[in-house]
Amino acid sequence: MDFDHDTLVAFSKSWGLFYLMGFFICVIIYAFWPSNRKRFTRAKTSILSGEDKPWR
Amino acid sequence: MPEFFHRKIERSAIGFVLAIIAAASVGGIVEIAPLFTIDETVEEAPDMRVYTPLELAGRDIYVREGCYACHSQMIRTLRDEVERYGPYSLAVESKYDRPMLWGSKRTGPDLARVGGKYSDAWHVAHLINPRDVVPESNMPAYAFLARTALRTDDLSDHLRAQRRLGVPYSDEMIANAVADAYGQAAPDSDFAAGVSERYGEATEVSAFDGVASRLTEMDALVAYLQVLGRLTSAAYENTAVSQEAPNPDN
Amino acid sequence: MVAKLTTSERQSAAVILLLVALAGIAMAAAGRNEAMGVHGLIVILFAGALLYPVLSAFYAPEPTEDRQASYYDEPIKVGIALAMGWAIFGMFMGVWVAAQLAWPNLHFDGAWSTFGRLRPTHTTGVIFGFGGNALIATSFHVVQRTSRARLAGQVSPWFVLFGYNLFCVLAVTGYILGVTQSKEYAEPEWYADLWLVVVWVTYFLLYIATIARRKEPHIYVANWYFMAFILVVAILHIVNNLALPISWGSAKSYTIWPGVQDAMVQWWYGHNAVAFFLTAGFLGMLYYYLPIRAGRPIFSYRLSILSFWGITFFYMWAGSHHLHYTALPHWVQTLGMTFSVMLLVPSWASAGNALLTLNGAWHQVRDDATLRFMMAAAVFYGISTFEGSFLAIRPVNALSHYTDWTVGHVHAGALGWVALISFGSIYTLVPALWKRERMYSPALIEWHFWLAIAGTLVYIFAMWNSGILQGLMWRTYTEEGTLAYSFLDSLVAMYPYYIARTIGGAMFLLGTAIGCCNIWMTIRLVPATVPEEADLPVKDAVVAGE
Repeated sequence: MDFDHDTLVAFSKSWGLFYLMGFFICVIIYAFWPSNRKRFTRAKTSILSGEDKPWR
Repeated sequence: MPEFFHRKIERSAIGFVLAIIAAASVGGIVEIAPLFTIDETVEEAPDMRVYTPLELAGRDIYVREGCYACHSQMIRTLRDEVERYGPYSLAVESKYDRPMLWGSKRTGPDLARVGGKYSDAWHVAHLINPRDVVPESNMPAYAFLARTALRTDDLSDHLRAQRRLGVPYSDEMIANAVADAYGQAAPDSDFAAGVSERYGEATEVSAFDGVASRLTEMDALVAYLQVLGRLTSAAYENTAVSQEAPNPDN
Repeated sequence: MVAKLTTSERQSAAVILLLVALAGIAMAAAGRNEAMGVHGLIVILFAGALLYPVLSAFYAPEPTEDRQASYYDEPIKVGIALAMGWAIFGMFMGVWVAAQLAWPNLHFDGAWSTFGRLRPTHTTGVIFGFGGNALIATSFHVVQRTSRARLAGQVSPWFVLFGYNLFCVLAVTGYILGVTQSKEYAEPEWYADLWLVVVWVTYFLLYIATIARRKEPHIYVANWYFMAFILVVAILHIVNNLALPISWGSAKSYTIWPGVQDAMVQWWYGHNAVAFFLTAGFLGMLYYYLPIRAGRPIFSYRLSILSFWGITFFYMWAGSHHLHYTALPHWVQTLGMTFSVMLLVPSWASAGNALLTLNGAWHQVRDDATLRFMMAAAVFYGISTFEGSFLAIRPVNALSHYTDWTVGHVHAGALGWVALISFGSIYTLVPALWKRERMYSPALIEWHFWLAIAGTLVYIFAMWNSGILQGLMWRTYTEEGTLAYSFLDSLVAMYPYYIARTIGGAMFLLGTAIGCCNIWMTIRLVPATVPEEADLPVKDAVVAGE
């Protein structure tokens, strides 16, 4: 290994957290993006349409 | 911009797959990768020896029978555990263990330091029928081990596979695996000396199941149980509770 | 089954089965009379049993209809049947091993029937046999309905289903023969593991290809969970099972991970098997069958997305909480503990989302035991995830680890969450798949429901009591500062609880047996909703898109 143990541990302890925060900022932006609202509403009601045939 | 980005993910199932991998892989990488350099921080154990062929065969029987389902081999750093079972387990003590058998459940007691605590005869009687020795026990009876001859023809293969994974078995150990297995369970035979020579004077050579003429699975399992916690004395040095290592001669 | 395949598809099915049989012959030859030889024979028999229907219908007339105009439901039906069969097997083994702890002579002096060998037949039987087949069947159903597309293969769904069951058979028979890696929940040996990789990659490709056929740009959230389940289980399985066999003719292998690394990899695997096998996939079921059964859309779609990424992200860090106070470095334990506590947020978001979906439909929950199964599953999911986060806190873990409390926690999740959501989904699915008006007997569903609830409660209360009692006895000191109880004292105190848990498990098993009868009677006796010919696809069945 090129890295010594302390470097790897320090990297693990810090970057995981930054990654976590960055990731969740993206997820929250996606979930609350205004124009996605219509799509989500459509998705959650479409499974209840009761149609039982493939679309083509 | 995020809108564009996420639409792409939604449209493309592959992009979505990559996002799952990106989310899921980081935790494992962060926690596992540093363990590959752990040797730099783990305590040194210069006296650590490898399992003899007989002990390894016994360990494989322990694995085969699923003993880990009821017995742990990991003494935690808690006062009551140290007082009940002995010094807490060190990482170095399981460095030759494939798989590790730390366990997750104690229906029976921890076995990390059971080696040397009971006599061979006690172990044999206990394995044949636990309730003969401990009337309240709910352990299954392993009488069939005493009836089953130990398979030895592939012992060299076992050692060779272990060496390829990094366990320091020498050519001589691999070549003499079968003889050493016989020798360790037959103290008066010609093979016994080779065991001490290759694995150290402290290695217990004994007719484990009480019958030196026949090598059984009982011999192997008892040999393994008797070496548990005794491959190195590292745990007895520099730990909070100083204790004497069990003496093989008593 | 075979009648719906074209000649070339029948050929490829036959070729695949012949290749499997050849692999079995090779195993039998290499393993001779060792365990691997026995497994070779099992593989040959398995392939032969499937080859027979393929060859006997080989020259039957080809299907004339446009198969793309209908869903591919036959593999789902067989998957449901297999899931229920494995449920009976796995739960029976569970009751048996539970009884062995109270009455140790119940292994009748056999080597094959000891607790150590039978216990993994229980865990594999229920987790992989019952849970896995239920997941494969429901995922095939959900992906087709939500994508409004037929499965993207004719032979591959069968390959996935039967290939997976071959893996389960090899696993369970292996333990009885003494073939095991002794890695908890990853016991099968190297050749079974390799086979599962082949099956699982096929499953993944089939799923992705089916999703790619959808018209809608958005993928419904239930599929997210199923995809995370398939994908992450593949990663976990491969990494944890890397091993070197001692020879090609031997069933024995040694894992490449030694000691402390093996411990971390094993529990990274073990905990995420809980996360992605026993949680993500079943949340996929919840997000589809609960709204369908209640006739109401999910309470908050956004919340389901947020909790999806939370679960996918956080769970992977949590495995090290299985190794508190061990030789694993302290900072890894702390990280595992922290993320385990954080996991409560997405877990309760999911459970709350499910319960809020039912808000306003409580009269349905009261009247319909199938919906009540799913409601109870969401409640138990909430309970067991709270308990999981709690047990991951280091000082709590000091008491609970190595005791029956862990076992109780696992069963609160496995019986209360996994099994209940599966039964609720299956009761929703069976009439729809077989085109029946309803299940044969609503009363039997009620019986099943109450037996399952009572059995689960008896079980987990027994294990809470025994676990906490055991943990406290181990750490109790006398006034002189010596340990108050020997290990044996703590074991003797366990016997009443071991008997109680056997009774709880038996009640749950009885409920499952009733469920099997009910499903069987539904298929046999309940009249079909539509005449058979109306089920044929209509040529001009073009459905309006967006």
